[in-house]
Amino acid sequence: MFFDDLVRVSLRQVFRHRRRYLGVVLAIAVGVAGFISIITMGQDVKKNFNEDITFIGGVTIIRNVLESRPQLPPGKFREDTVQAIREIPGVAYASLVGLTRIKGNNQGQEDFFSVAAVDEHFWKMRGLTAHTGSLFGSQEVKERQRVVVLGKRLAQSLFGTEEVAGRTLELGQDVFRVIGVVGGLRDINLEKSLFVPLTTAQDRFFHQLVLDRFYVRCATWDDVPGVAAAIPKVVAAHQSAENLLVEVSTENLEHVKRVAFWVEFFIYLAFAATLILGGMGIWNIMMAAVRSRTREIGLKKAMGAEDRDILSQFLTEALCLSLLASVIGVTLGRILVELLGLWIGMRPPEELFFTCLAFSLVFAVALGVGAGLYPSVQAARMEVVSATRYE
Amino acid sequence: MVHDLKAASPQPLIRVENLTKVYFNGAGPIEVLREVNLVIHPGEMVAVMGPSGSGKSTLLYILGLLQAPTSGAYLWEGLDLLTLNRTHQAEFRRRRLGFVFQACDLLENSNVYENLEFPLIYEEVDKETRPQRILDALRKVNLAHRLYHSANLLSGGERQRVAVARALVNRPQLILADEPTGQLDRSHGHLVMEHFEEVAATENTAVVVVTHDPDIASRCNRVCPMEDGVLTGLR
Repeated sequence: MFFDDLVRVSLRQVFRHRRRYLGVVLAIAVGVAGFISIITMGQDVKKNFNEDITFIGGVTIIRNVLESRPQLPPGKFREDTVQAIREIPGVAYASLVGLTRIKGNNQGQEDFFSVAAVDEHFWKMRGLTAHTGSLFGSQEVKERQRVVVLGKRLAQSLFGTEEVAGRTLELGQDVFRVIGVVGGLRDINLEKSLFVPLTTAQDRFFHQLVLDRFYVRCATWDDVPGVAAAIPKVVAAHQSAENLLVEVSTENLEHVKRVAFWVEFFIYLAFAATLILGGMGIWNIMMAAVRSRTREIGLKKAMGAEDRDILSQFLTEALCLSLLASVIGVTLGRILVELLGLWIGMRPPEELFFTCLAFSLVFAVALGVGAGLYPSVQAARMEVVSATRYE
Repeated sequence: MVHDLKAASPQPLIRVENLTKVYFNGAGPIEVLREVNLVIHPGEMVAVMGPSGSGKSTLLYILGLLQAPTSGAYLWEGLDLLTLNRTHQAEFRRRRLGFVFQACDLLENSNVYENLEFPLIYEEVDKETRPQRILDALRKVNLAHRLYHSANLLSGGERQRVAVARALVNRPQLILADEPTGQLDRSHGHLVMEHFEEVAATENTAVVVVTHDPDIASRCNRVCPMEDGVLTGLR
């Protein structure tokens, strides 16, 4: 039997029995669509979920402090130490932070402000974004600009609004330009603080500024133990690490890992359900087809069809069904992904969708062959005489 | 006893010797065919007659390699067909044999062309020559005008003539017909027999017809009565 004859005959059969196959094709198509949307959006949802929960729990952030001890002079981290920390494998961001309180003046009202002197990595390290205006970056830090970013509560208390970009604030002896309000701090004390470039603070508030802490954000939570273990050695290689305290939220980390495991588990459970239900659907429909077409099988064998002709015909029909279902499913999946993307405001990477598409097609072939094989073998092994006499 | 009307013919097409078929079920063995001997020559029309359960359909299925005998020999131009494996038997069926069944077995949901194309598909006949061969076969049964009609919409007589055309399309050397006129009225039954006679005369194709109908049997060269699995004589 020529291959094109096989495909033509099989497609014809599928088309002519389309009403019989409609249910199973739709079931698999919905399964594939669900799979694509789960995996495509699920990865994105999971990533965002993990990032959010990481930030909430701060589980990938390692806090490093030089503790003040009576017998030791106040410690201070050097910039080259932090730079070396950034080179440790698994470190996403490391940010040197100095805290102080500075006397300021706003429209004649004097007050003391909590000031966080931070570098340009601070925002990404804490997952912060501009609520209004903008945050300062490497250029402002490098040029030691007198700019300031306010926490939300501070902006409200000083100016009665969060639209504060362009306003000015007197800090110490200098006037600073407010460039924005930072969002996502999740810490009431920081929301009442203001943020200035580290270099500017070093120039302007040198005597008050204590650079006794830096924060490290690891790329993943799996990197946390290794990075935490490496930090003391790297610090010791650059300066005294005598009173260094490395703080990791171990309990939170374990909790977050457990939650993430269950999220992942349910994603794959849904995928497994799709696979099993789709396979059972094809199996069932092909078994029914073999039974209802028993006379046809006997007749074809009487006409000279070999076992392999019958086997390949039924197998090809099962493949056609699963591929057809897969193509419909991929189309539905694409529509679903677009709709979900609009709904929850996420844009999954295109490569992920195409990976899912390729996987769905491979899955369809495996499903068609796997679920169609047994019924096809049954059809091929059928005895001609009993088949032709079948009522 | 060997039934041989064409004793003068040098080479028989089929020689069946001491063919026996026994079915085994819970009640014990049932001997359906007993020591059947038969010789058929090319171009010969043979009718096998007998009551229901006499074993005539079983004999036909064995001749068509659709069923294996329990013992005996089945020679085709000297070749022992019973030594062929399943695949070679299928190959033999599509090249040398044509079947016509009682129930006008056409493939439902297929048109006449598609029904006749299947034997050519299995024989891997190239696509360019298929339409002509199908038309030639349909012309022999005067149904060329029904080429693309759905099998479901044909009358009983037309369906059986399409079945005959399908049996002819691969130019077989032997046609095996199991009560081909059983579901047809008298005139259509004789029409089908006319087609067999024409094929036997023009193509030198042997035809074995299993029938209850003495009228149909009388149109054959030979009639082999069968009773309790034994060919009892000839008329």
